Amino acid sequence: MDNRLPADAVAFAAAAAGRFEKLGGVNLARQAERDRGARHAAANALTELGIGDLDVRADEEHLLAGAALCRAAGAVVLPWPVVSDLLAMDEHRIALIDEHAVRVDHGDLPLSWVVADLDGQTWSYEPAGAAPTGRLGPFVTQGSLGPTSVELSTDDVARYLVLGAWQLLGGVETAFADVCLHLRQRIQFGRPLAEFQAVRFTVADTQVRVRALEELAKYTSWRLVDAATSPAERTADALALRLHAVEAARAVLRTCHQLYGAVGFCDETDASVIDRHLQPVLRFPVSPEVLAQRLVPAIGSGDLRGLGR
Amino acid sequence: MDFDLGDEAEQLRTRLRQLVREHFSETFLGAFTDDPADLAQTQAFCARLAEENLLCLSWPRRYGGRDGSVWEQTVVREEMWAAHEPRGPQYMGVNWVGPAIMRHGTAEQRARHLPPIAAGSVIWCQGFSEPEAGSDLGSLRTTAVGDGGTWRVNGQKVWTSYALMAQWCVLAACTDPEARLSERLTLFLMPMERPGIEVRPIPAMLGPHHLNEVFLDDVQLTDDDVLGPVGGGWGIMRDALAYERVGIARYARCEAILDKLREELGDRFSELPEAIRVRWVRAKVELRATRLLAYAAIAYQSEGIDPAAASVARIATTTADQTVAELVFDVLGAQCLDSGADAPIHGAAEDHWRYAQAATIASGTIEVQRMLVARQILGGR
Repeated sequence: MDNRLPADAVAFAAAAAGRFEKLGGVNLARQAERDRGARHAAANALTELGIGDLDVRADEEHLLAGAALCRAAGAVVLPWPVVSDLLAMDEHRIALIDEHAVRVDHGDLPLSWVVADLDGQTWSYEPAGAAPTGRLGPFVTQGSLGPTSVELSTDDVARYLVLGAWQLLGGVETAFADVCLHLRQRIQFGRPLAEFQAVRFTVADTQVRVRALEELAKYTSWRLVDAATSPAERTADALALRLHAVEAARAVLRTCHQLYGAVGFCDETDASVIDRHLQPVLRFPVSPEVLAQRLVPAIGSGDLRGLGR
Repeated sequence: MDFDLGDEAEQLRTRLRQLVREHFSETFLGAFTDDPADLAQTQAFCARLAEENLLCLSWPRRYGGRDGSVWEQTVVREEMWAAHEPRGPQYMGVNWVGPAIMRHGTAEQRARHLPPIAAGSVIWCQGFSEPEAGSDLGSLRTTAVGDGGTWRVNGQKVWTSYALMAQWCVLAACTDPEARLSERLTLFLMPMERPGIEVRPIPAMLGPHHLNEVFLDDVQLTDDDVLGPVGGGWGIMRDALAYERVGIARYARCEAILDKLREELGDRFSELPEAIRVRWVRAKVELRATRLLAYAAIAYQSEGIDPAAASVARIATTTADQTVAELVFDVLGAQCLDSGADAPIHGAAEDHWRYAQAATIASGTIEVQRMLVARQILGGR
């Protein structure tokens, strides 16, 4: 048993974080809201980092490098569809959608898109009309579906859900670290907020959520490439992680807003930008309730494994 | 990265499940029930475990253990808790009294106490908490006054599990009220048949034997009964609590109960309200995350990495225990209060709910765990 990320993945994560920091960190996301063309700086950075050489379908090393990249991208809400890039097939970017309300984050980028539902049914996608979103998910587009011959495996659906969970982890880690710094610096009633027990208990509970998400993300990624895992188990694992990630991230971000006070809703605070830009990952393709409903058959089928081999 | 616990640990898991199946019926719910036969069964089971050096698996071989790896210890914790802790009151002696005597006891104390613990033939209790000293153990008031090789102990202990059945007690007493905390307390290995000791059970929802009061009226002890140096009790207690940092594997019993309930429901599972089935899914996912947090805390404890990780795991484990207890009750509806062998899952739901109420209090409250986690992140006290 070794729950530590391999050294290569850690080094790659550090390189990615450094590169994104050079772009301005969360400021690039702010800039892209004013100038959508700024997103290409993110794409260039990903190219420099070697995203084109990453094959997350290949093996554990590549998958974990992809996970590290998503975590680093989530940490600054990098304005580019990183998960879609990592899962691209023959230049087609992949996105999971709800076919009844088709929305794609960064769907307006001049890329070829193939979208799919959670069952892996695929369509081509063309963005259409004005973006229906505003402050929440500022790069979301609606569009129309058409036929496609591209097929998506259930494992690719699982990878999409898992890599998005790593993005969420990166985002909440940044927001939580920032708010903890604020708590140590902000003086109220003559002492730092960090000295109030109500605040300290909230921070402790938030730490439990963040660390649980990290461990579950690592475990699920390991299971995705474990030869002993069946396709049904991999799907159940991925749904379980995404369900947990979305609910944990929502709770952590809500707590960050609360602990910041009013400034937490202001875009000068990274937590505000992170929350707004992560909304598509938090909401798409379906709600946590639907994710949980899809897991109900796994209760008793053995696909959502418990203890032991 | 590898989340497999390894062949030896998994073989041990198989062996433990086999032993439990051989010794206990499906209706067994632990040693502390209204049926004295349950306690007798656990004593026989402990003797069987001891024959294979499994009772004290983590101990060195020279003391009756088998130098078990951290993952073998984890598997023992999980499998025993999942089976309603069939080691009964042995848990305390095996997990921390024995190791504390190994580290801090004299050669005579080791020779006297370790073999019976390793054989599962003695029951220990722990005399720490007092009416005025719960989480704040430094303020305990029981005194031991020395007089030329003897000690007279006066005071009261409370919440003392197994005190009625125990032959021995690790007693914490104040030997120098003027000293600073680190030098104020001394630990004694106290025979429970010593004159002046009175045990009174405390009726509680947990069931018999869990909670007792122990009154100490001029109990006479000797220097030979002192564990470690006089005034060194606080350090040994902290050391002992380190064995307990992650705590019992409550997630394992939760998983076992949910699996048993799912099996018993059969096709009726699909008739449950959708809201309950979705809660069940969330509970399963929460249990998985909880188990992983426990593993993360255990994996590198010898390297001293992230001391708050154990508290994180404990917060997750104890709250998950209560979440699952409520879920199982809601699944059962009006049957949830039924107890006994004829009840759903042989009364395990009712038994678990009662015991889960103590999860966030026993062996260190959840508030103390939160304080430890917050201290690591925010600094301060």
